[in-house]
Amino acid sequence: MIRFEQVSKRYDGGHEALSSLSFHIEKGELVFLTGRSGAGKSTLLKLITAIEKPSSGSVRVNGALLKNYNRKDIAFYRRSLGIIHQDHQLMMNHSVFDNVAQPLYIAGEKPADVKRRVHAALDKVGLLSKVSFRPIQLSGGEQQRVGIARAVVKRPVLILADEPTGNLDPELSKDIMELFEQFNQLGTTVLIASHDLGLIARLNYRVMSLSNGQLVETPFASRGGQS
Amino acid sequence: MSNTKKTSNRKRQQVKPQTDIGGWARHHLKCASDAFLTLVRQPISSALTWLVIAIALMLPALFYIMLQAAASQTSHWQEGGQITLYLADATSESAGTTLANELALRPEVLKTEFISKEQAWQSFRPVISENTELQLESNPLPASVVVIPTLQDQADLEALILTLQDLPEINDIQIDLAWIARLNSLLDIARSTVHLLGIILSVAVLLIVGNTIRLSVESRKSEIEITKLLGATDAFVRRPFLYLGAWYGLFGGIAACVLLTLISVNFQSVLEPFLAGYGLSAPAIWLNAGELGTLLFASILVSLAGARIALWRHLRDTDPK
Ligand SMILES: Nc1ncnc2c1ncn2[C@@H]1O[C@H](COP(=O)(O)OP(=O)(O)OP(=O)(O)O)[C@@H](O)[C@H]1O
Ligand SMILES: [Mg+2]
Repeated sequence: MIRFEQVSKRYDGGHEALSSLSFHIEKGELVFLTGRSGAGKSTLLKLITAIEKPSSGSVRVNGALLKNYNRKDIAFYRRSLGIIHQDHQLMMNHSVFDNVAQPLYIAGEKPADVKRRVHAALDKVGLLSKVSFRPIQLSGGEQQRVGIARAVVKRPVLILADEPTGNLDPELSKDIMELFEQFNQLGTTVLIASHDLGLIARLNYRVMSLSNGQLVETPFASRGGQS
Repeated sequence: MSNTKKTSNRKRQQVKPQTDIGGWARHHLKCASDAFLTLVRQPISSALTWLVIAIALMLPALFYIMLQAAASQTSHWQEGGQITLYLADATSESAGTTLANELALRPEVLKTEFISKEQAWQSFRPVISENTELQLESNPLPASVVVIPTLQDQADLEALILTLQDLPEINDIQIDLAWIARLNSLLDIARSTVHLLGIILSVAVLLIVGNTIRLSVESRKSEIEITKLLGATDAFVRRPFLYLGAWYGLFGGIAACVLLTLISVNFQSVLEPFLAGYGLSAPAIWLNAGELGTLLFASILVSLAGARIALWRHLRDTDPK
């Protein structure tokens, strides 16, 4: 599903965020990506979503080399992803409904289907009562859950979540993790960046640890190991 | 991997969902209505833009109207531009009348009039008897044919005169055409001015709409970035702004049409009694439905072009980072 080969990423500032990274995530896997702040977790996810381009090496998703994609290909490719951003990336001038509905509008869904699916997605994250609120009227955790609802509203083949539980209390974190597990059981590949080591430790999934832009062995690695 | 290219091409096909006409049409409808609501919900700031568009359109249109009115009058004024053919002394009255009738049949001639020696004398005599003591034994004035040409350009008139010169009955030709030539070249200059004004002010409309769209893109930059992250194509992102441009063009065009008609009708009602005092009827000085339609269409087209150019310049800056 996701294959990195000798991938390096150097930002314009000159800092090498990722160096010579190689790994493979199978279709249908659920994988945690962990590491200290600044280790390069978000950078790795941005390479998969084609927000950033690798300085060298190749990133393949579903067998396709992302750097061969033109602008239109990238747009269509992103429609198959469910992306949860660390900074939420919500449209502040639009209602919660419109935010969650946006991927469906882009796909050209019928209004009746849009309404049904948006309500279903908001129900899953426990925000159905705030459907007509604006993001500015929501707490940080609620905004995060709007982002999660938007990512899963279209049944993506790949979920990429950057700190999805960063602003949530333990109870809600557990609920959201269960949501990801449900999708994973239906065949969706899930990659979650998180430094919530407690959460990661509780669940028995593969863990990739980043340190200074490289994959390292961690205490958690032995508990995962699906591949 | 040796078959990299093949694999990636095949996978690329898979990525694209089949085109969905219904969804595409729905998005057009949504963008059109959203853009319309944007204009209506911000009446003051949007009116500033479409009023400027209207004024920019009115300027060349008013010029055009005046030009049309002037051109419609030149067929009357043409009567001043007459050609007088003085006939040889030997020409009989009936030969003169025949000549006048023959000339009147030519396409380049509007009408002719035969003036006999006697008629010429009759109209000349009061002038002589009042002012001089001159006594003449016989009538010295020649018979003549007055030719009034149809409205045409200088070259055609000159060709007509050359053929008339060859006629044996004609002794002398007196032409009063210089001022027609001057009028025609003035009208030509005015026409070029209308075209030039039209082009300059179209560019103005282009810039006005372009700038408005640029500001709109600027204010919705983060929204556009997010939409791109969710898989929107460039066309999808452009669509609402193109509709915004088209609405500005339509509003501006309608305002221009209404204002132009109001101005022309008012001006007509002032002009009518004024010209009536000189026994003249006022020309129609408003745009007809076809001309108004063309103005509206041009307004929408130019505004759309302005929006498209602005988007082309500014949407590249909104790729997600
Ligand atoms: N746009 C950018 N321009 C320059 N440097 C960047 C940019 N984004 C990230 N970096 C650098 O790359 C490194 C990795 O950043 P990244 O955001 O991937 O870390 P992270 O693991 O997600 O951290 P956190 O857990 O705090 O979110 C950091 O040192 C950061 O300074
Ligand atoms: Mg991060």
